[in-house]
Amino acid sequence: MERLKVLVLEDDKLAQKIMASRLADHDVAVAGDLKTALKKLESEPFDIGFFDLMLGPDDDYSGLKAIAAAAAKGVHAVVVSSSDSDEIIDRAYELGARDFYAKGNEDANVADILRKVTQARRSAAAPDVFASAFITGDAALKADVGEALKYAPTDLPIMLLGPSGTGKTSLARVLHERSGREGAFVAINCSAYTEDLLEAELFGYRKGAFTGAADSRKGRLLEAHKGTLFLDEIGTMSANMQMKLLKAIEERSFHPLGSDKPERSDFRIISATLEDPQDLIARGRMRFDLFQRVHGYTVNLRPLADRPADIFLLAQHFMKGGRRLSFTAEAKKAMEAYAWPGNVRELKKFVDLLASGQEGRVGLEAVKKLLKGGARAEAPRGGPLDALYADALKRGLEAALESVSDELVIRNLNENGGKRTKTLADLKISTRLLYATMKRRGLDSQGD
Amino acid sequence: MNSDVSKLLHDLRSKCSSLKSAAELFKDCSAAERKEMLALMNAAAGEITKTLEALTKAL
Repeated sequence: MERLKVLVLEDDKLAQKIMASRLADHDVAVAGDLKTALKKLESEPFDIGFFDLMLGPDDDYSGLKAIAAAAAKGVHAVVVSSSDSDEIIDRAYELGARDFYAKGNEDANVADILRKVTQARRSAAAPDVFASAFITGDAALKADVGEALKYAPTDLPIMLLGPSGTGKTSLARVLHERSGREGAFVAINCSAYTEDLLEAELFGYRKGAFTGAADSRKGRLLEAHKGTLFLDEIGTMSANMQMKLLKAIEERSFHPLGSDKPERSDFRIISATLEDPQDLIARGRMRFDLFQRVHGYTVNLRPLADRPADIFLLAQHFMKGGRRLSFTAEAKKAMEAYAWPGNVRELKKFVDLLASGQEGRVGLEAVKKLLKGGARAEAPRGGPLDALYADALKRGLEAALESVSDELVIRNLNENGGKRTKTLADLKISTRLLYATMKRRGLDSQGD
Repeated sequence: MNSDVSKLLHDLRSKCSSLKSAAELFKDCSAAERKEMLALMNAAAGEITKTLEALTKAL
């Protein structure tokens, strides 16, 4: 880990010793009183400051003054104090504190802060992610991914939604690379295995655990220790496997097949699915408790056809270091109008084929020859209101609104684990509407 | 609760937290560090006793 310059403001000698031990891999300066801390902040550059607030039994939270001084110097100011009333927390943040922790769990908290600060410094120095590791010029996608990157150095699970070929694996890898986690990025496509094989892949097995298990093998969960486990197409997992995975996530421990000895693994989950998880839950294909465990922050990767500016940006990127092509205006128009059902993956294949072809100048004929599928359907442009409008024109306003109402009610019911009284209160709807919705959706209307 | 009692309770929480963290850290310390840590832990325990006495008087 990168060596950081850290200031600790703490009057208690034992607490000073504990912080110094926890920060042994960094350059630590300890100040026992406010005056010394302010002097050090004035004369030396620091990356992080850990500040106690009450410096002595009769002190009046003088540590607060150090927060403002540190924040003014760009130091990541962290309060570690036993004074954790709402009023003090508010004052500390107003003065520029970046984090506030109650004393008593320094082992985990200090490690978290160090990882977060180190990663933020690395990210600031790293090349623009949208011009290198995850190419896009789409403003909405940039904002969404940018927000997800803020959670990269945390343990929060991230869920990536989008059709096949939109770059979910690439994004998962970027999130791992910016996580600061020292372990590996381990990816598994859940749809590529039968239930038994998936269990063996995820949890591993001991020699002789089943016919054909000639040797013991480490599972993906263990390979992802201190790293990231990327579960692609999580929605295809059987209910039984979902239950086993949920248990492993909750307990951070599992039994390889044929083993009595549990294995422990500290992995971070990033998951992806092609389908709407709420729909999967409504249809009983995804356990709600598993969804809750894996959906911390969600990124929606829209189809390539919905972000035409990315088509040429990505095409240019795929040609880097190889043969450069030029597209005629007609060719460009045809590419923009194409549906790209295989998304970025299809575009890459398309560019590779053109780059190995005869002509460097690509015309309409060459494009038509390779893009045999249809043009993009004139679907409603953009947001959900456009889709709703199109539906209202097609089926009538009442039917369109009823579908939306049904979706919202079913979603809330699922989120509440089927508790109807909670849904009635949450959505402020009548019992009549709730039961009519359940009847339309074929749900049992007995009990709560 | 008066401010003296609040401050004593804060002091007590703070010192108990430090003592607990020190006990958790102890197993990872070298022999020399353990000696220093034990001395600090004993001093903290003494201060906790004093704070408890002050708290008893204040109530």
